[in-house]
Amino acid sequence: MIMSVVRSLFLILAALIFFVRTALSQESNGFWPLTGEFSAEVTYVGEGDVERGGKHVNDFDEIYSNIQFVLTPRMKLGVLRLGAEWERFSFGLPKGAALPNTLQSFSTIIGIDTQLSDSILIRAQIQPGLYNSGLGHLFWDDFNMPFVIGGTYIFSPNLQLILGLSIDVERNYPVIPAAGVRWKIGPQWLLDAVLPTPRLQYEMTRNVSLYAGATITEATFRTDDAFGDSHGIPRLNHAVVTYSEIRTGVGFDWKISPIVTFTGEVGYQPYRDFDFYRAEVRYHQNGGAPYGTISLHGAF
Amino acid sequence: MNGKPIVRIRCLPRGLVALAGVLSLIPIAGPRSASADPVSELASFSIFDKVDLAQLAKSEVKTAHGPPMRNSRFLAVQSCYVAPGSPAQQMEALRRWNPTKYRELKVFLHSDLSSNPGPANFEKLKNAPDNASVRSFVTATQKLSPELQISKEEAKRFSAATGAGGGGVIPPAVVAFWTDVLTARTKSFVSGGMAAEPPYDHAGPSVRASDEVNGLLRDQGKIRQQFSGLLGATAIGRGGGSLPAELYWELLDVDDHGVVTLGASYSRGGAGGTYQSADVLYYASGGYYVALTLHQLWPVTVEGKPSTLVWRGDMISSAELGSLHGVERLGSESVMMKNITKAVTAFRRNTSGGR
Repeated sequence: MIMSVVRSLFLILAALIFFVRTALSQESNGFWPLTGEFSAEVTYVGEGDVERGGKHVNDFDEIYSNIQFVLTPRMKLGVLRLGAEWERFSFGLPKGAALPNTLQSFSTIIGIDTQLSDSILIRAQIQPGLYNSGLGHLFWDDFNMPFVIGGTYIFSPNLQLILGLSIDVERNYPVIPAAGVRWKIGPQWLLDAVLPTPRLQYEMTRNVSLYAGATITEATFRTDDAFGDSHGIPRLNHAVVTYSEIRTGVGFDWKISPIVTFTGEVGYQPYRDFDFYRAEVRYHQNGGAPYGTISLHGAF
Repeated sequence: MNGKPIVRIRCLPRGLVALAGVLSLIPIAGPRSASADPVSELASFSIFDKVDLAQLAKSEVKTAHGPPMRNSRFLAVQSCYVAPGSPAQQMEALRRWNPTKYRELKVFLHSDLSSNPGPANFEKLKNAPDNASVRSFVTATQKLSPELQISKEEAKRFSAATGAGGGGVIPPAVVAFWTDVLTARTKSFVSGGMAAEPPYDHAGPSVRASDEVNGLLRDQGKIRQQFSGLLGATAIGRGGGSLPAELYWELLDVDDHGVVTLGASYSRGGAGGTYQSADVLYYASGGYYVALTLHQLWPVTVEGKPSTLVWRGDMISSAELGSLHGVERLGSESVMMKNITKAVTAFRRNTSGGR
């Protein structure tokens, strides 16, 4: 677990150095030929519990890490989205717990944002990649290709309505619809009720905003081929697990430079679920936990 | 992999919104050959390479993104439409058009200026409406907010004015400060064109409106060439020109903040009844650095009736635009297009009953 923290912090530091240098390059040149967006996040969730039919897994913590880099070149059709993402859930489980201690994915991002009319923007994006519980044994069916398509209706500069579909054939419910709204309530208040991070935001200064909101995460992975045998439930060998969690908290965004924003957030995780739905094994939350998040993100 | 955010759009730099309605356009004469087929000429310099006049006459205004520009602060949108009547009539209607009559355009005050303005020309500031935008403008001025686009010298002059007190939506000290700034900037424009305008350097890197407008035009070579004759005779992006300008100032809303702006309009008629016009907002206290609207009008006949083919190019430079990327920028362009459509539709409804 400590190594995971160190590695995550190192990755964030490396990302910071890279992007600050990029920012300086941009300022010195006056013009930067590439456009894109990036984020690097690490979240620590304190000790929580899950339960399955009287079997408890107690007092385990979690480190969530995510790094994403997407180039967004402009073309006649719209804005292309080409990039990659690494995402990892690392759990400090007690011995014998029938849960994977790591869930991670390496995926590419291929998508486009385009304009259907003056009022409607569309995003279509696929994320082909490997979604598994480690890199020990890679199988072709670790491959998955979640797909997102959504549209934004621009009612006015202050109000946009969002509708979307998330499609993942490995998930218990392959198609999940979602709706959201982005409403600038006043000069300093913004309701950004869009998944996966709905927020109510207050712009304190030009560079600092405070917010209260949630982070809703759901992802599907495959365990390795011996996971079930080693945990006393053979049907969990190479099984599909959908991991879901909800975090609710308060935080701040600090715009360090025109292209780099630092975010800090603390709160409570009220929901967590490990669902091996095909094997009919499901661990659900039995005790929440506090969490803290730091991240660097921005666009250039 | 999470369910990813579908689309996020920031509320746009409302300079764009304002721009759509704010620019009071004035007749200007176009130097191009009137013998050229209007549709072909339109295709030669604009984004509209295929226009069916009969179809356009029956439809609303057609808008499209301008060509991509190298500077992220720049944004351009082009539009075209057919209006009934001759270009001369359209120009006269543009000259008479008052954006303050259209609430949705959020232009609170508009006033013409003489070439030698004095404090009396800005007295309307005392009568500004009491709303959140204007209050925000007052607060920003009193705090000398870093977002205010003024020069260091102008900022120093505010210190002397803060002693005054008083009631009203805009306190006398704030009115006095802006009267001073706007008067001096208008005089600089009249005497030396945009090149003589003080920079925006109060709280950040120095930005000159003339550099911005020249950058906007440099990135749109065909348009610059099409309007070179007209622009060369104006003070837009350069020293004082030979064409007389129609000057004005406005108080308007940009992204929920009040902004005072100075503008100049030029127009010139060409052979064959064509017209060109250029309208520049060469100073803004916030929201955008500079905005330019160009018009080209050709006489055409649609269904046997004299009509005008209108091309309009709107371009803007704004610090906030520079901070938008990817889909946010796409969203901004969409809103700008939407608001230009709204402004043109309002104008057409007002002048000709619309279509």
